[in-house]
Amino acid sequence: MSDLQSGTNVVVVEDDPASADVLQRRLQANGMSVSIGRTGGDGLALIRELHPDLVLLDVGLPDTDGYDVCLQVKSDSATSDIPVIFLSARGDVFDKVRGLSCGASDYLTKPFHPAELLARVDAVLSQTRRVRGPRLAKQPDTTWAGKPTAVVALGDMTRRERAEQILGPKFEVIAAGAEGRAVDLLVVDADATVANQPGNDGPVVLRVASAGAATGADIVPLNDELVRIADLAVRERQLGRDVDAAADALIALATAFESHDRSTAGHSERVASRAVAIAKALGLDEATCQTIRVGALLRDIGNTKLPLGLVRSRNELTGPERKQIEQHPALGQELLTPFRPLARLLPIVRSHHEHLDGSGYPDGLKAPQIPLEVRIVAVADRYEALRIARADRPAMSADAAVQILQQSVQRGELDAAVVAALATSVRGQDRGEATGS
Amino acid sequence: MNQIAENFAQPESMPRHEDRFIASEELARLVLRTAGSHLQLAQDDRPYQWSTTAYCDTYDWSIYHAAEAGKALRLRFREYHRTRPDEAFTSARVWLELKEDTVDMSRKERFEIAGDVVPAFLRGETDLTAGGSAGLGLKAAALVKAGARPVVVTQYNRLAYAAPKDQIRITADHNLIYLAVPWTTNDDDAVPVRIGPILARETDVVIEMKWFGELPSWAEELHGYLRQRAPADRPSKFVVAMRHLLGANKA
Repeated sequence: MSDLQSGTNVVVVEDDPASADVLQRRLQANGMSVSIGRTGGDGLALIRELHPDLVLLDVGLPDTDGYDVCLQVKSDSATSDIPVIFLSARGDVFDKVRGLSCGASDYLTKPFHPAELLARVDAVLSQTRRVRGPRLAKQPDTTWAGKPTAVVALGDMTRRERAEQILGPKFEVIAAGAEGRAVDLLVVDADATVANQPGNDGPVVLRVASAGAATGADIVPLNDELVRIADLAVRERQLGRDVDAAADALIALATAFESHDRSTAGHSERVASRAVAIAKALGLDEATCQTIRVGALLRDIGNTKLPLGLVRSRNELTGPERKQIEQHPALGQELLTPFRPLARLLPIVRSHHEHLDGSGYPDGLKAPQIPLEVRIVAVADRYEALRIARADRPAMSADAAVQILQQSVQRGELDAAVVAALATSVRGQDRGEATGS
Repeated sequence: MNQIAENFAQPESMPRHEDRFIASEELARLVLRTAGSHLQLAQDDRPYQWSTTAYCDTYDWSIYHAAEAGKALRLRFREYHRTRPDEAFTSARVWLELKEDTVDMSRKERFEIAGDVVPAFLRGETDLTAGGSAGLGLKAAALVKAGARPVVVTQYNRLAYAAPKDQIRITADHNLIYLAVPWTTNDDDAVPVRIGPILARETDVVIEMKWFGELPSWAEELHGYLRQRAPADRPSKFVVAMRHLLGANKA
């Protein structure tokens, strides 16, 4: 049995019970855990749930074809790193090219010899594991008492010992997975893949150049410089956490103001969650998602500087009242400007009521002047507002609200890709609710 | 103004016929076998490579509305990759295509440009007419001035057969995906741009027949067979993508 195969989780998507059974027994005999999906839909559900090390995929499936399943696996950022091997009786060269074009790592034509299958599984797994780094356990809350902690996860033992020795004066070096210990610094090989944690929550990850390789912006050398760079990076992360704490205090203030009004209580939190879901559907990175989340939570903080009666008014606003309400983005910016570390939020706070065609407020900005983060919060805000009942209309269904926003896209007010991402996130939520996941 | 199109393909300024069909996998195989016994594999399309095409429109969707009416100049950028990219404008060279459709004919001009000058082109800082455009370049410049920018992307694997000089061209597009593209700025660092989310997937195969003049008898027969067996008069990929983007499919 190969070391690579032992402990490997495999999802086999194969509609023929006899073939699936043979494959399962063969793989299990080599130490692999096997789950079988009989249809493309079942297979995708298993892949999303189990995040296996490998997928073996038949081309002919009852509900769809293997190419489509492979495309869906490779299009989803949560599963795109999982290698796929096609198993198919279709041996034409264009079938193979098509399978590989869909992102598969290999294509094996049936009937195949079991030894060839296992050899190809080995080859694909070894290639994948070279680029995957250690998976980090969920981080407990970090305390800032005593030396910060470091885990050194370099593959080569000599290099690992050298790194631990260099870090020793400033860091408490602990073993990976040490129970109950928060990790402030993780040192890995340059080519390791480490799961990112949102915002400032996870440890600082430093990538160390291999012997003789060049260093750069993201790759640090394995010499005495390492401890200086690591110390600076961990301090910077702590500063980021302090800024987050300041933002949290402001969010608490804005939420307290909002919660006085039952009809809008929790609205900002829903807008923030929706905005992050849209940002993720657009493939934005964690740092940008965090900016969007905090910006969405603080977007209406300017309301705290307006008369309470005006903000809570349920009556139709007069012209002058509307003008006053429309000042809240500028007031919000004025309020937050002294908090210099929150400068990245100001465009969201100032411009979340702007329209791409220039018909929004307070500045009448046009499309090229409105950043993507602002467009996202604007769409999330409009969507969640439509989902709440008002005096003049009932709450809208998710579909109806999306359609209203698509009409705004057609008029040139909202960003089309952002509304498409909203529709994707709403559909995903519907699917999740339908399956109870 | 800079001239971006240093090397450009010969403008296909002659009008040509074009029909599109949605076919099952089995029907597509039959079409490809027939085409393969009369035509050569097209030299400019490597079989089943990924074509990524970014289509532009203005903020008032003027290109889409014109396309729905059956007469539009489409402005698009095409790239080719061995595996499917999740970004557009990643290639050193990109094909800028200007395609003008009328009800039953189309005309196309194709320019090879550097991928990183796409933002400059969209800022209106480049001149296609200096590159030898047979007339579509001026119209494209007007669209750029009106704010045309990438709005939707299609990706697919194409198998193409063609006669010499593209007298007949028969293509089959598998794995067709329609995606949105969040384009917010024409600054130089706007490229490459991440594409997505996915708007829709085509489960069947899109067959296109394009030809100049008269069809030979075997192709006439194939065309008739396709007309009987597959839904014809299918809108262009651009129109289908835009309907998904704007939610116009529900109407």
